[in-house]
Amino acid sequence: MAEDAPARFDPLPPGIAPIVPTPGYPSTFTHTPSQPLIRRPPGRGEITGPLALHRKLPCGEANLAEPIPGRPAVGQLIHIAGQVLDEDGRPIPDAVVELWQANAAGRYAHASDTRSAPLDPNFIGQGRVRTDAEGRYGFFTMRPGAYPVPGEAVWWRPPHLHFCVLGPASLSRLVTQMFFPGDPLNPLDHIFMAVPDAAARERLIARPLPPSEIGSGWLGYRHDILLRGRRATPVLA
Amino acid sequence: MTPLSSHTVGPFFPEAFIREGDNDLTRTTTDAPPSRRGTPIRLNGRVLREGGLPCINAILEAWQADAAGRFHHPADPEEAQADPEFLGWGRARTDAEGRYEFHTLLPGAFLDRAPHVNLLVMASGLMQPVATTLFFPEFAAANATDPVLALVPPSRRPRLFATPDNAGGYRFDIRLRGSADEETPFFED
Repeated sequence: MAEDAPARFDPLPPGIAPIVPTPGYPSTFTHTPSQPLIRRPPGRGEITGPLALHRKLPCGEANLAEPIPGRPAVGQLIHIAGQVLDEDGRPIPDAVVELWQANAAGRYAHASDTRSAPLDPNFIGQGRVRTDAEGRYGFFTMRPGAYPVPGEAVWWRPPHLHFCVLGPASLSRLVTQMFFPGDPLNPLDHIFMAVPDAAARERLIARPLPPSEIGSGWLGYRHDILLRGRRATPVLA
Repeated sequence: MTPLSSHTVGPFFPEAFIREGDNDLTRTTTDAPPSRRGTPIRLNGRVLREGGLPCINAILEAWQADAAGRFHHPADPEEAQADPEFLGWGRARTDAEGRYEFHTLLPGAFLDRAPHVNLLVMASGLMQPVATTLFFPEFAAANATDPVLALVPPSRRPRLFATPDNAGGYRFDIRLRGSADEETPFFED
């Protein structure tokens, strides 16, 4: 099968996939498949994927911080930028990058988020861009707030961003989360800590850029996203 | 409704990310004319969790070959002959009953593969998207030699076959978690 499949889609090395079901996250115990996943060699249907998906999914919403000119959202203005790279470190142009997140108070503008924290009328917290020829993406947004996960033992999700990357192959489809460096909630987050390998967890954390480089307008972070490979950005849906 | 953490922990995939027509694999853009090079079909079903309860706001992504079994992608040596009007990809969200629907064309066979649709499911309570494949029961001969189907224990294979619904559609329920007989087989690529 699949004599045309490249050898580059190696299985993920151990330590990157999150432990599931995930202790502390009750619904993973009712949703995670109980049977072992069936390993299949990549075939033509897996090494392919939709191209030019920006035609189907309109891109360009890169400014979440001020979606309506003159009406900035409340919170700490940040800029997140980086490159989407394949497992050999080559930039991936024309990938569709989707971002969604809570507002500065830790509330999602989503019907299912019924927590009482305030919504910000000027912040929806979602955007979609297309990577350029160098695989670069970038978003202006607000630093999200933490929010509690209710349950018998309450815990808090640290500030984080959700990323969806639709690359050139089904095999490089990535759903992940980005965290902020040094947040004391990071090591207490059941979802972040479900990634077993500490080095792999580090790849979920954005790198702060020196203010001397960025200036006084906003805080800048760099976050590269590697699709598959030994140094892959971990999947964290 | 029980306030399960599934309603509070997210992921709150934005409602606005899925627009009308995103579940139509036959259009390369939302307002493009649909490809008619094949048999139009509707795929629908429910995403269910343990106990057969519905998964609300689950996101499904479908990917398949065109009606002649080709992909519009450089990894397909027959890319040049692929149907230029057929996208082969779509995204859908489940409703309050866990229902989803896709509009597509019956996929063609290629190489040693029986006609099939690859599906990816993301949902609250899933830390990783899960991948499965939908097969069509009418292609008995191709199904009998499909190498991916052959990897699935025979007792679990029936879960990968869609059921024709007499209205130009196929029903395919996805059970994320259950007993070995109930649960949909999922693949690791």
